[in-house]
Amino acid sequence: MNELERINNGVSPQPLASNNSLSSLEIYDKFGAMAYGIILQILPQPHLAQEVLVSVFSSPQLQSCNSYPFTFAACVIKLARAKAVEAKRKLTALVPANEEDAVDADSLSPQNIFELAFRQGFTPDEVAKKLNITKSEVLRSFHDFFKSYRNA
Amino acid sequence: MKTQEFIESGILESHLLGFATNEEQEQVKQMMSADRELADYVLNLESDIRSYFVHESVTPPTAVREIIQLRNLRERKEKHAFKSADQDIKAPYLDIEVNDTHMKVHKFWRPAFIAVFVLSKIFLIAGLYYYFKSASQAEELQKLKAQQVEQLK
Repeated sequence: MNELERINNGVSPQPLASNNSLSSLEIYDKFGAMAYGIILQILPQPHLAQEVLVSVFSSPQLQSCNSYPFTFAACVIKLARAKAVEAKRKLTALVPANEEDAVDADSLSPQNIFELAFRQGFTPDEVAKKLNITKSEVLRSFHDFFKSYRNA
Repeated sequence: MKTQEFIESGILESHLLGFATNEEQEQVKQMMSADRELADYVLNLESDIRSYFVHESVTPPTAVREIIQLRNLRERKEKHAFKSADQDIKAPYLDIEVNDTHMKVHKFWRPAFIAVFVLSKIFLIAGLYYYFKSASQAEELQKLKAQQVEQLK
């Protein structure tokens, strides 16, 4: 199962936050800038990022956000990241990534782990393997990352 | 797993960011439906994650919005065309207005019409047979009566 398919899972019939059914353009007006920011973090090339942004907001999966149990924002974040990571994987399959671009694998800071998982597109298992730590430590780093952001 | 342990495990962050496996998603769903406090925590966490990404948002060029609008319009049109074509295939009869005086009936009426035709012929033949038979009998009776009258004379 890829990450795009994973987005549609975990949908419960009763949403926590009530969302009205929005059209793609309405969602774009609300979250377009946020999604573009996320995509640029993963794909720094603006022309590629814009292509991915268009694919996010013309994707049929975006309409599944209407029945998503959480907020639209969370759904858009997931979808934008998934599409950007997919595009990045295709790109790196054509042009292998520069080792210098990679994050310092020795650093175990929550920021570094979040960087590897969210921006570099590695799964928590891959990050754990890369950093020689357990998966639960990787997940705990996500918690620590947002905790430090909240307290900042 | 206790609520606090579950919160600190980072599974919720992983779930909201799209990293969670099916098992973890199920676990989150179960825990949230069982614990209202946890559900409230997830709402707060969502808003934190959102504010983090909103903080890093970048305004895209205006042309992107137009491209999305055009693409959505095209897709809607294609979907509509596909739907109407699909409906045409599924429809059992074509809705065509025909200026015709002919009437169409079900094919089962054919043996019924044949049976009615054959029976009508049988009854016609039988009717004619009995008509001529009774006529000849009446004629014969008249002849016999005439013979009797002659014999009496």
